[in-house]
Amino acid sequence: MAANCARVVCSLFGKSVNFASSTRPVTLQFCRQICGTPALRRKNLGPTVPETFTAEFIQKQVEEFEIGKRHLANMMGEDPENFTQEDIDRSIAYLFPSGLFEKRARPLMKHPVEIFPKQRAVQWGPDGRPFHFLFYTGKQAYYSLMHDLYGRVLKVEKHQDQLRAKGLFPTEPKQIALGPSRWLTKEEMEALLVEPISRQDYEHFIQLMERLLAMPCCSLEQQFVMSHRQQLEAQSMHQVVPPLQKDDAGVDFSTAEGRRKSSRGSVVVRDCGAGRLTVNGQDHLHYFPVLQDREQLMFPLQFCGLLGRFDLDCSVSGGGRSSQAGALRLAISRALLSFLSQSEGEAMRQAGLLTPDPRVRERKKPGQEGARRKFTWKKR
Amino acid sequence: MKEEEEEEEDDDSHIFKMAASISGLLKPWTPRVLLVRWSRYNPYYLEPEVRKEAYSRPESELSAEEKEERELKKLRPIKAATNSTTSSLFNDPVLSKFINMMMKHGEKTLAREIMMQTLENIKRKQVEKYHKATDGQKEGIECNPYVVFHQALENCKPVVALASIQKGGKYYQVPIPVTGNRQRFLAMKWMITECRDNKHRRTHMYEKLSQELLAAFANEGNVIRKKHELHKMAEANRAYAHYRWW
Repeated sequence: MAANCARVVCSLFGKSVNFASSTRPVTLQFCRQICGTPALRRKNLGPTVPETFTAEFIQKQVEEFEIGKRHLANMMGEDPENFTQEDIDRSIAYLFPSGLFEKRARPLMKHPVEIFPKQRAVQWGPDGRPFHFLFYTGKQAYYSLMHDLYGRVLKVEKHQDQLRAKGLFPTEPKQIALGPSRWLTKEEMEALLVEPISRQDYEHFIQLMERLLAMPCCSLEQQFVMSHRQQLEAQSMHQVVPPLQKDDAGVDFSTAEGRRKSSRGSVVVRDCGAGRLTVNGQDHLHYFPVLQDREQLMFPLQFCGLLGRFDLDCSVSGGGRSSQAGALRLAISRALLSFLSQSEGEAMRQAGLLTPDPRVRERKKPGQEGARRKFTWKKR
Repeated sequence: MKEEEEEEEDDDSHIFKMAASISGLLKPWTPRVLLVRWSRYNPYYLEPEVRKEAYSRPESELSAEEKEERELKKLRPIKAATNSTTSSLFNDPVLSKFINMMMKHGEKTLAREIMMQTLENIKRKQVEKYHKATDGQKEGIECNPYVVFHQALENCKPVVALASIQKGGKYYQVPIPVTGNRQRFLAMKWMITECRDNKHRRTHMYEKLSQELLAAFANEGNVIRKKHELHKMAEANRAYAHYRWW
């Protein structure tokens, strides 16, 4: 009800942009209470009960969202049928430009499923009797999951006993194929069960799962186990390789940028076969008189064994000598990716050449002389 | 693979208080409760392997742990290589550590210059000795300054050290074994303090260092003497060795 009264009339979208309670992202900053009853203006309302959203309410929100999406598409002059979420985000950012730094505080329009947290439906019937037999444990989803899991453990044990009785017990049991995966974290389990879990409960669950996996015939429960595991994809999939271009003389080249502290560098790597290095118009020996910086520039080339092959045309600004060298090193590594195979690129990533260095100067804290140094301790 | 995933998960559940998605773990990080010693990298990140030889080894040569480590490296993000490491043959982690310990007020160029002059000085002295020696002695003289440096540091590393442990109201000096990192640190620290404090003030640092390193290479000199004294103290206090509980 508070949400209703605080809603600013927004006839443009037909009230489809959501105005949130304190638990959800705040939408339009300028929604003050224009109309209100004395009951609402009363402060110190006492402990608030978390809002429950009925299924009808969510349904209504979804309908309003769909209608609002079509209105928005018409407003932006685009096709209402093929209006995706990215188009919605773009249009909202255009119509409601916000200078706020916190991205989560900016106006947003998303599907109600993403905005309203998943809640459990009412768990008892009209006569007050709960549906689930474990309702009175207080953690029905968790205990029913543990019950189910233990039932499966017993089933696997029974299967093993039957095999042993028949004499068919396999000497090399079929290994369960887990692949590169990990157990779901506690937060992911809570999202799955729509119920808070304590740390001890989660650890019990993992222990019982590991016990199931330790059994020889656990491949029976492959599907159940995999539904509680998250697949890990290889990090090399996230690498963005810059495109290999050809200039007028037919020479292959690629461009990339790199950052370190406050330095910004960009490099054009040409496949000439000269091995020349130009930085900001000067020769690299002039620009980087210190050996360590030149070593850093050569590091990616030396690692791949391509020292004399390329021509580098670098430009860098900001920061000090060491951070400029680091920025250029990152830029060179990224540009080289387009000339290398995927396994060599993976080797470069594992050598730490493709990670942008996140270390920056730590701020000075109040009550201390520097970032870490404290003031001289005086006894009195 | 399973055990590794499990122990990774155990670490995860205790250390990670961040968002469930792994994409949250790939960003630069500040722990929620600021610990005394923390880094800008999430604990999820692994150390980089810079040497080229590690990547050219074929599958057959690797043991089971190394294969598992390789699989893990494919899945985890890796930290960036530091400013002073390269994959070249001249890059030496022990030497880099020594240069960093010698450095004052962040002047890496000066510290590196001193170190290079030290190595050159060692080489000159050893070559001079080599040319003056008779044929029989020539094989015994080591001219490679890197070998001299490493051997000198090895000779300076203490095996046991003393720790102050409180028992029954009194503090006892208890001998304890020293880990590899601590040994290396103590050897370097003694070498540098010895050269800074106990030598003639008009000599250059590289001169003092080369003298002390050559002496340590021959198991003589103040640093070796200090190590022997520490060992003697530990031997004297060996009655209290059972006070150590770890």
